[in-house]
Amino acid sequence: MENKIQEKIYSQFGVEAKREKQRRMWLKIDQERLLDLLRFLNVLGFEELSGLSALDWPKQEKMELVYHLWSYQEKMLLSVKTMIARESPGIDSVVSIWGASAQIQEREIHELFGIDFPGNPDLSELFLEDYSGPPPFLKDFNWRKHYE
Amino acid sequence: MSEDNQNYQEFFFGPAHPGSGNFSVKLKLEGEKIIAAKSIPGYLHRGFEKLMEYRTPMQNAVLSDRICVFEPLAWNLVHANAVEELMKIQAPERAKHIRVILAELSRIQSHFIWYGALSMALGFDTGFKLAFGYRDFILDVFESITGARVYPAGYICPGGVRRDLPEGVEEKILKTLEKIDEMRLWEELENPTFQARTKGVGVLKLEDALKLGATGPVLRASGMKTDVRKDDPYELYSNLDFDIPVEKEGDAYARFRIGLREIKESVKIIRQVLKKLPQGEIMEPSLANLAVPYNLPEGEVYVRQEAARGEAAIYLVSDGGIKPYRCKVRGPSFFHLLPVLEHLLQGEQIADVPVIYWSLNHCPADMDR
Repeated sequence: MENKIQEKIYSQFGVEAKREKQRRMWLKIDQERLLDLLRFLNVLGFEELSGLSALDWPKQEKMELVYHLWSYQEKMLLSVKTMIARESPGIDSVVSIWGASAQIQEREIHELFGIDFPGNPDLSELFLEDYSGPPPFLKDFNWRKHYE
Repeated sequence: MSEDNQNYQEFFFGPAHPGSGNFSVKLKLEGEKIIAAKSIPGYLHRGFEKLMEYRTPMQNAVLSDRICVFEPLAWNLVHANAVEELMKIQAPERAKHIRVILAELSRIQSHFIWYGALSMALGFDTGFKLAFGYRDFILDVFESITGARVYPAGYICPGGVRRDLPEGVEEKILKTLEKIDEMRLWEELENPTFQARTKGVGVLKLEDALKLGATGPVLRASGMKTDVRKDDPYELYSNLDFDIPVEKEGDAYARFRIGLREIKESVKIIRQVLKKLPQGEIMEPSLANLAVPYNLPEGEVYVRQEAARGEAAIYLVSDGGIKPYRCKVRGPSFFHLLPVLEHLLQGEQIADVPVIYWSLNHCPADMDR
């Protein structure tokens, strides 16, 4: 089952999904081909965007997005990672693929990490009402200074 | 009243509504009909994900209690499993058994809260009092084992559990299970009013449920046979015998039925685990001294588990230090209270808002984190 999916991804995109253990695979792809890959995976049966997360790597001047996809049919989790620039970060929205569940997760990431998602219809504030400071989940966010 | 001379009103459900918890929904009403609903989260946002970046795993185990007020032990377990998977260690067998017993008891008491709150939303006070009364027997067991009724302060921690079971607690658990079986009264208490208020109300179709990110009992009530404990087993679940209840209708009544049947399955699980409970260690020896910080190996894991309200997951990343680099918490209520609730309220009557809201078995705390 897992091998088949690995093969399909490899033949289409030339990237290798690493199998970590049963039901867990990890995959890295560049930003340009991300949306095509995710659309392809959705058709393969990865129906649930279980989690969308961001990581801040200030030393490399990069940010990383991680899409955790679950397939109810194959009973497998595939995590897709991609790097983006840290300077005015942005990446195409996946709302067209996973609908409202993607929309709300991108809205959260936008608020906490300041990443823009062109194509997402609503990136308004979520948890932080009337907050106008820098995105609080960035590694260089100085919370001591912020609350002085 | 309106900007463009249309006849609608705006109305807040919560945050001060007695049935809303720390959460509110802005409703746009035409007469008594809801034409649009917008969820407003954030009342309980404590920034756990950020706080965890400044603390060691053992300190985070204590924090993980607070992710969800209604089922702290379930979140303890997700966090402990995430750290263990990252460190490539396993808790001792006895600890695993204790964990599953607590996780299932936690599920049952959480479902009792669900019914209590749903009954309250219906104006069925007897149900509320019954459920909360019976829940207390379980809290007594928690107190004997963890030392606290609600927040166990990281009882289930990376490496095992913090204390062994006290003497005679198996007996106490079995007695509590009998009490829980007594709660079958629920089925008899289901009166015509209860059914009239819940049947056909807040119908969630399966294809919508998937798009909106519904998981757990909400998704199962819409006809999807899925459960992380079966599909992606952790701890002892692959060796246990239990069923996954599924309903087709997707309305508030179906969700209520799912919870009721899940309690039965959880009781079944606890009885099995109690029978097999082995003797031995309760902590992985290398982590047994809780006061000594340890390095988390570089790497990342995504751990999913079935909490009472749906899929609970933690994405844990480490750069090799004693504190995690990032810890993302995926709460099931984040999806149930934002996209799902907004979708379900559209076109419904205002009197049905509390019923739909509470039928989703949510917890504003795990939404806001």
